[in-house]
Amino acid sequence: MTNASDAPTNGALGSQDAVIKVENVSRWFGNVVSVSDVSFEIKPGITGLLGPNGAGKTTLLRMITGLADVSDGKVTVFGESVRNNPALYARIGVMSEHETVYQFMKGRDFVKMMGQLRGVKDIDNAVDKAINLVDLSDAAYRPMGTYSRGMRQRMRLAATLVHEPEILLLDEPLNGADPRQRVHFQNLLLSYASLGKTVVLSSHILEEVEQLADTVLLIVNGKLAASGDFHAIRAALDDRPYHVRVISDAPRDLASALVKLESVDAVNVDPEGAIVVLSRNVRDLQIELPRLAKASGVRVRRVEPLDDSLESVFGYLVDR
Amino acid sequence: MWFIYRLTLRQLSGRWRLLITVLLTALPVIMGVVHTLVEDAPPDHDFQTGVVGMLAGVILPLVVLAIASAAFTNEIEDRTLANLTLTPIPRWKIILPKLLGAISVAAPMIAISGILTGYFIYEGDVQAIASLAVGAVVAVVLYSVVFTWAGIMTTKAIGFGLLYVFLWEVTLSQIVPGVRFLSFNHYSMSIMQAIDERRFADEDMLSTGVAIGASVGVFVIFLLLSVRRLRRMDVP
Repeated sequence: MTNASDAPTNGALGSQDAVIKVENVSRWFGNVVSVSDVSFEIKPGITGLLGPNGAGKTTLLRMITGLADVSDGKVTVFGESVRNNPALYARIGVMSEHETVYQFMKGRDFVKMMGQLRGVKDIDNAVDKAINLVDLSDAAYRPMGTYSRGMRQRMRLAATLVHEPEILLLDEPLNGADPRQRVHFQNLLLSYASLGKTVVLSSHILEEVEQLADTVLLIVNGKLAASGDFHAIRAALDDRPYHVRVISDAPRDLASALVKLESVDAVNVDPEGAIVVLSRNVRDLQIELPRLAKASGVRVRRVEPLDDSLESVFGYLVDR
Repeated sequence: MWFIYRLTLRQLSGRWRLLITVLLTALPVIMGVVHTLVEDAPPDHDFQTGVVGMLAGVILPLVVLAIASAAFTNEIEDRTLANLTLTPIPRWKIILPKLLGAISVAAPMIAISGILTGYFIYEGDVQAIASLAVGAVVAVVLYSVVFTWAGIMTTKAIGFGLLYVFLWEVTLSQIVPGVRFLSFNHYSMSIMQAIDERRFADEDMLSTGVAIGASVGVFVIFLLLSVRRLRRMDVP
């Protein structure tokens, strides 16, 4: 596993206690191991649980919520075992990946019922507030069977938020959301986390996690492949080859000079005339490239990393 | 608990489910009406035994199976059960309103069917009608608790229920003497006999005390088994 947990992370995460602890947790179904010996801690802020479909994210999240039992290991939330501990759900909000709702029930009635089941005191105000947060007041009195996929997700989120939980666990919450809803949703989560709450967000879409999460947990084949700040994970992968695109006024001359550098593994010139350099030592390349260009009399117009997104890190980890 | 009870009532009152169960419960009533209209109908006692046997032994368990097994099966198949289990309420407060919801939907239909059937086949004999209705409601409660449990144990609760009804209650309890001690049909018939000995006297019946005690025992055991199952299961 690549551990970047010691690397600097966003905000005050390092100074706060973990609210969720996952210790050597495994889960198997017959002979199939879904989650294998995973350990991590989650502190207030937004944590992204990232991995491809079938990686074990949902199983892991279900064990954290207590919906599923562990085969081995221990999960604690606020220091208590979450399994068979209903009282904890007054402090936790969970939105599962399944979008099914009570079709016959009006959106407002659903949110109200969920609030009442969680013992919310000033229920009508709490319901209005939660529905306003997801911007669905206009559709609150319509049966949820008439909602679009995105509307159902938002009303489910309102039902998850109605008791203002300290921990919010969301499994693929942006499924079905259009771009405007995504932005609204992201802003909502960011403001929620800024109140000192804990948000755990599972997704296989790297962009979502990259834009939101302070901390990332990368799950691959049921194992924790990496954890910590996204950029720290990226830096920790020191054996990973990086692609850098170089645009210059004499690409072939510069390419033949670059190939001699020790920091360069391979050089290609793409059909548009840009040089794509493969390097395992970008730091040296950054120093050597301007020097080389000057010595060769080549003008470099632009240098850009091709794979600095979470997508590329993720792809690398999955392939490894 | 009230919210889950109301939710369950709404879930179990789907148009098709109600239509099928109403048609089923109407069958013995229609037979009773036809019997009063036909001049050369079979002797009263044979007819009464046949109709009551059909209502208590076949129609009643099938109606309750269609309703009670759905109390949890639908939530599990629709993956909405997590809405209820991810709340800070004890598991028995989820099971009990679900069970009461199932009983509340099934019992009135069966009771009305029993009263109307009794009215026609016993020619308005109030004691006989009352015994039929009370015995039927007791059976509804017992079948409900078992089929609600089956619904939370397996998504194939209907198959389990059909096997139970036709193999155990209809077949084995009639031919294997000891099985009547574990037959809901016998419990309810014994209670009917206790209320109206004239109509339901049968040497194969259990004593009233045994029937009531066994009924209470079955109810408590399956209620506890359901709570235990909800605590231990992986909720989808």
